Amino acid sequence: MTIASNVKQTLASLKGAEADLSSLALRTQDFESKRTLHETMMSVHEVVTDLKKRIGEMEREEFQYKGF
Amino acid sequence: MPAWLDIAVRSILFVVILFFITKWLGKKQISELSFFEYATGISIGSIGAEVAMGLERSIFHGIIGVIIFAAIPFISGVISLKSKKFRDFVEGTGTIFIKDGKIMEDNMKKERYTTDELLELLRRKDVYQVADVEFAVLEPTGDLSVMLKKENQPLTPKDLNLAIAPIKEPQTVIMDGVIMDEPLATIGRSRAWLYTELDKLGVTVENVFLGQVNSYGELTVDLFDDQLQVPSPQDRALILSTLKKCQADLELFALGTEVKEARQMYSENSEKLQKAIDKVMPILKG
Repeated sequence: MTIASNVKQTLASLKGAEADLSSLALRTQDFESKRTLHETMMSVHEVVTDLKKRIGEMEREEFQYKGF
Repeated sequence: MPAWLDIAVRSILFVVILFFITKWLGKKQISELSFFEYATGISIGSIGAEVAMGLERSIFHGIIGVIIFAAIPFISGVISLKSKKFRDFVEGTGTIFIKDGKIMEDNMKKERYTTDELLELLRRKDVYQVADVEFAVLEPTGDLSVMLKKENQPLTPKDLNLAIAPIKEPQTVIMDGVIMDEPLATIGRSRAWLYTELDKLGVTVENVFLGQVNSYGELTVDLFDDQLQVPSPQDRALILSTLKKCQADLELFALGTEVKEARQMYSENSEKLQKAIDKVMPILKG
């Protein structure tokens, strides 16, 4: 396992968590909880964006990491 | 008309009349909160019984009596809504028995309560030591309401400064194997959704004795077949563990990389994720 593939795995997990949070926010009846869940989802999304950027850099620097 | 038939007709008639009168007077009549409800409740009952059994009495007279006894508490209830003075006069006010942790002997004498009776009322509220009580008042109904001293009150999340997730009331969507459409609609779900959730649990509707949906949209069921084990909802716990794992991963990446900017990016994001986890923890754990 290379670092790049580890980062990609984490990225996938985070994306999954983001989607789960989003669907939980939709299902939740309480407004306050809904908002907290949504805000958490946004933070996770920011992390996802940063990780994506980093993966792009890694792939550019070392070509063998490209793809899955 | 033979006497037995007369009694049967009168009894049925008065059961129906009493039923509708109690409906009309509402929950207050049944709880017998004030003198009026208490006294009129007894009178209405006796009039009904008297007329049903006493064949020499006129049914019509009985009905008049019942209606008057029902109307007076109703009217007094309406006036009570408007006037505080009238309310105090009719329904009575509470009498303070314990104030600032001290027993008010004069008030007890006024209500003719003995020390034993006070102790009994306190015990009914699970209080065995008078010293634990800050304030107690004898309500007009004869109940004692007790406020314990702060240090003797149950601990609440507020006392501990704990963050807890607010919840809404659960909805009962399946009763005795029958789907309730109204509560389902209240939480904005369809039968199709319910069938999917039941499929996930691996049970059929017919086997469900009681099914409820909590404020996070999770379905919990109790089955007719108590031998079957039903998994409890794990969605939220799973999200939390995923988030925690990702946060730990980010920390690892920060330690592993040689690139300065990347290291900073990783540690910033791991902190950001940690903050998010802390905030959402009460919801995902609750």
